[in-house]
Amino acid sequence: MNDSRKGRDAEPTTHFGYKSVPESQKAAKVAEVFHSVAAKYDLMNDLMSAGVHRLWKRFTVELSGVRNGNRVLDIAGGTGDLTKQFARLVGPTGEVVLADINASMLKVGRDRLLDLGVAGNVTFVQADAEKLPFPDNHFDCVTIAFGLRNVTHKEDALRSMLRVLKPGGRLLVLEFSKPSSTLLSKAYDTYSFSLLPMMGKLITNDSESYRYLAESIRMHPDQETLKAMLADAGFERVTYHNMTGGIVALHRGIKP
Amino acid sequence: MLLSGLLAGVELGLNRVLALDSTALPRLARLSGKVIAIDCSAPALQLFILPSAEGLRLATQWAAPADCRLRAPAASLLQLAISAQKTAVLHSPNLELEGDSAVLLELAGILQDLELDWEYQLSCWIGPVASQLLGAHLRSRAHWTQQSLDSLHQHLADYLSEESRSLVGQREAQARFTELDALTLDLDRLDARLMRLDHLSAPLNPSDNA
Repeated sequence: MNDSRKGRDAEPTTHFGYKSVPESQKAAKVAEVFHSVAAKYDLMNDLMSAGVHRLWKRFTVELSGVRNGNRVLDIAGGTGDLTKQFARLVGPTGEVVLADINASMLKVGRDRLLDLGVAGNVTFVQADAEKLPFPDNHFDCVTIAFGLRNVTHKEDALRSMLRVLKPGGRLLVLEFSKPSSTLLSKAYDTYSFSLLPMMGKLITNDSESYRYLAESIRMHPDQETLKAMLADAGFERVTYHNMTGGIVALHRGIKP
Repeated sequence: MLLSGLLAGVELGLNRVLALDSTALPRLARLSGKVIAIDCSAPALQLFILPSAEGLRLATQWAAPADCRLRAPAASLLQLAISAQKTAVLHSPNLELEGDSAVLLELAGILQDLELDWEYQLSCWIGPVASQLLGAHLRSRAHWTQQSLDSLHQHLADYLSEESRSLVGQREAQARFTELDALTLDLDRLDARLMRLDHLSAPLNPSDNA
């Protein structure tokens, strides 16, 4: 009797890579990972993807439809790759908000953008994607690049993004996904679980964070599942584009 | 993705070149926020150009609507790119232009007026004195080459017309052309006179008197 009550009262768990952790602990564990890698994040991105992540982000900006005077929210914006490009597109009459839950990443992003002279139309906000601290119907475009898989309650985050978008606004989710070919999938697995942690060890002296990266990618919903999640959250005309053989996918949904 | 990577490289190089002209970027800033779509019909290819104060952004697709859309085959686009009289080329039947053509003409004007300050860029690498010396040397070489080419052209023309008599000289040709023009005019006059005589002799036809 006691045991079953204990089971009912026990905190629900979620995945952290291949491990199962109480939901309340995931955010802190993800934060640890990003605190550890923040300083060398850009360098590692370039090394891990051989620079291709710049093309994935470029394609995201092309599909965003962002124009002069628009208001854009870049969730999990990290070191500000997308924010930099959006700031140029929205011009002085627009606004870009770089939001990240992790203070270290936000600090690196803010310093980097200021050093590049990107200022005036950019604001930095430490925020949780599940509970966005913005009014309803506020943004023309919301993007989340390589961030959704780290969110504990993805459905809540998607609903929160829908809330802050204006009707007709676009959500763009750039995230690792499932390779379309078996051969590529095998090569990608070998790369992710052998080379990636080794590179992490060499560059940031932290192989565990990059092991988590590889594991979290495998635990993330595939293209069709994420498409269904966006539709369930209330987005319309949901489409996705595979890039680099499906290693990365860009999902786009419109707020009705 | 390959094309996107290629465009990213072209964009980087183009913006470096644009930065060498002190007036290009401020002029491009005035076009900031405009989207120019180029639809090449043969071969089928689409290119979006977005000017801003940082230079040009090139994209294979753009979700926002274009302010100006130019549709033409590659040959016509090339002709437009190299022609000095762009407005005349834009009226060609092969070209279709939708939207605000002033944006396109302004961009074309900026690219045509480029005056690249290579010497300044060079001075950032090798210093002002060395770049000035190198610049002066290169300018003198370029001047000498231009003079040599003009001289070669003149000597070749003289040889062909005066020495080998393969071609007639400029003045001789001019005299012949004047004679031919005079002959053409004389023939035209004669032709007109004959026509007039024909016309005068027409009432003498017996069938008309009947």
